[in-house]
Amino acid sequence: MNIRSGYFRKHLHVNLTDGEIERLDLSETFLEKYIGGRGFGAKLVWDNLRMHDFKIDPLGPENLLVIAPGPLTGVYLPSSGKCSFISISPATGMYGDSSAGGAFGVELRQSGIDVLSIKGRAPELSILFIDNDSTEIIPMPELKGKSCLETEGIIFEKLGTYAMHIAAIGVGGENQVLFACVNTDWSRNAGRTGIGAIMGSKNLKAIAVRGHKDLPVYDVNGLVAEADRAYEYLSKHKYFELWQQQGLMNVIEYANEHGILPTYNFRDTVFVRHDRINGEEMLDRYKIGDSACFACSMTCGNICLVKNGKYTGTVTEGPEYESCAMLGSNLGVDNFAAVLAANRLCDELGIDTISTGNIIGAVIEGYEQGILSLADIDNEEIAWGDEDAILNLIRKIAFREGVGDILSQGSLRIIERWPEMEKIILHVKGLEQSAYDSRAGISMALGYATSDIGAHHTRAWTIAKEMEEGQNWTDEEKVEIVIYHQTLRPLFDMLGVCRLPWIELGLNERHYENFYRYVTGRETSLEELLERSKDIYDLTRLINTRMGVNRKDDTLPYKVYARPVLTGPNAGKVIDKDEFQKLLSLYYKRRGWDENGIPPREIEAKFDD
Amino acid sequence: MSRKLTVIPEQCSGCKICELVCSIRQFGVNNPKKAAIRVIVVYPHPVLRMPIVCSQCKRSTCEEVCPVGALRRDNGVVQLDKDVCISCFKCIEACPFGAIYAHEDCEFPIKCDMCGGDPECVKKCPKGALRLIPEAALGEVRRLNNVLSYTQMKEIEFYEKGEKKVIQYAEIGKEEL
Repeated sequence: MNIRSGYFRKHLHVNLTDGEIERLDLSETFLEKYIGGRGFGAKLVWDNLRMHDFKIDPLGPENLLVIAPGPLTGVYLPSSGKCSFISISPATGMYGDSSAGGAFGVELRQSGIDVLSIKGRAPELSILFIDNDSTEIIPMPELKGKSCLETEGIIFEKLGTYAMHIAAIGVGGENQVLFACVNTDWSRNAGRTGIGAIMGSKNLKAIAVRGHKDLPVYDVNGLVAEADRAYEYLSKHKYFELWQQQGLMNVIEYANEHGILPTYNFRDTVFVRHDRINGEEMLDRYKIGDSACFACSMTCGNICLVKNGKYTGTVTEGPEYESCAMLGSNLGVDNFAAVLAANRLCDELGIDTISTGNIIGAVIEGYEQGILSLADIDNEEIAWGDEDAILNLIRKIAFREGVGDILSQGSLRIIERWPEMEKIILHVKGLEQSAYDSRAGISMALGYATSDIGAHHTRAWTIAKEMEEGQNWTDEEKVEIVIYHQTLRPLFDMLGVCRLPWIELGLNERHYENFYRYVTGRETSLEELLERSKDIYDLTRLINTRMGVNRKDDTLPYKVYARPVLTGPNAGKVIDKDEFQKLLSLYYKRRGWDENGIPPREIEAKFDD
Repeated sequence: MSRKLTVIPEQCSGCKICELVCSIRQFGVNNPKKAAIRVIVVYPHPVLRMPIVCSQCKRSTCEEVCPVGALRRDNGVVQLDKDVCISCFKCIEACPFGAIYAHEDCEFPIKCDMCGGDPECVKKCPKGALRLIPEAALGEVRRLNNVLSYTQMKEIEFYEKGEKKVIQYAEIGKEEL
């Protein structure tokens, strides 16, 4: 009870088909139970699904796209710039979400709404313009075919001000590439699960927001004192400087050393030329500036410029670890400039770097092994490290030309077309695997397999603990840590903040209980917040099981079981199928789901209101 | 010695913590749009993340255009006297840097008052992009950088007895492999 502040209590709902715009009130129970971000999204998506009897085409007008910052988004505390994008993913056909940093979510909140939901399909390519209390759908067919970056510039010009934040899609989204992303603030992407394709299917090119309202905070002085303590802790951390300099790029070295760096489409886990694509190399020759999300002192964004050679003049914000590994070592590319060019191209076209890198890796391996003939790939040779062919393929995927048309449909359709690719491509439930090899640690594998959106690392990144403390823990402990991560990490998404200060610099999670208290005025404990987060995990699981997911889908890519790591510290390792199934059963039991992975019937009643 | 609130745009990461702390200090609210300092991020050029804040000019245009004399210098800082101000916003238009701000909720222009000599934004900037620098030291960094940039020079051409000569310097940085 008593949420005294922290929310505007407003839900903006837009139906693009008939241009209907509603401002709905959010109830106290809703705010308390679902907190924000992913929580709001999951609930609204669930309600929408029930309305359509669970038969929904992700790319149809009836699919609901929810954009939700959290109650902590935009307030004075470390890294508070996150905003979640939630919907039914076209890649997996199940629940999907992705979050973006930057300041788009902050601006959205400042316009006076806590959650935005979009349904329908605009008759022509349009943008949504939210200017504080007014909301307009503006047709802008001239934006067709424009890159994410160009789109922002054109909208600034058309609307006559630059003082706003924009979430836009590129050609990939317009063409409904199933792993298209939404690009906010130029290069902060909500990358995974194909949210960009959903915007494309709704004929919505961009959302421009301008807001100037005070963010509701119950106790500003308390918040400032607590936030100062948190900032202070971060700035004194021994790795703080490394983070400011390298951002996530420092993980390349770490991943290589521990044998979890995807190399040659996950055939290997160490990359011989890792020193050419790591953080040191970036600092030495490419980095020209820092970039941070809202209120973040860690500045993990790196602005890089290629100063000489073939890609001279390429500027990009990034790459971060995932992009660099998936477009670099995973494709055998050992030229950092080429990785930057590929990253930039993906940003411009608006497609996810992780899925793109994964799929191109599979194409190269498939072609090498003869599963794909030369004719299959449009008579254009491709090989490991062939930069030109890779860039060309990225372009073809976004424009859906030739083989790019099938590749743009994601893993499931690729396997449908060429069944043998099942053995080569790494995905769980249709979402391509992130850049951490899971053969090294079974808890990471369990995290991938049971993640509600597919093989994505931010649900349970438990591999670090397994690397540091070895494999000698009991199964119970392994399941426990996966569940703990799957509960705590979504909480960050719900609150609307970034998890990196916690996971990377060890900022105590207790801070967030205080932040929440100071912002909302509601007395609570971390345990209670985690309980809410756990409920959301049940809810997203419920969504998935209602759409047909069960134990058989909580599986791992073929390679993880069958293809041992070739070299490095984890050479010879695979995940044992039986051992994994045993762990999975234990996981279901701990979650309170049945042997088939289905949450009990009575859980549903929890989300009825 | 008088000190200036100075911006080093190359260091700025665009996190806007300065805006937040400024609005909290000035108005007690969490609203970066009510700050007297703003970080302007310009696209498509990704390197420009420039905080804009009052320079407390010695011959201040804002002071000159104010029709009622509400802007007055006090100990080197141009202060806004809210009792005198008529909210005509001429100062906002006149400021050559656009460093005075307006907000729909606020009756008066929002202007940096240096927090009484110990600016909050300087204390909280995680990148050291905002600094209080003694006036005499202004431009020192740029001067030094200009000099240092000569160490990047790879060769120097010069004439000796009417004959053109070239000296090669050791090359700094790795060559493209």
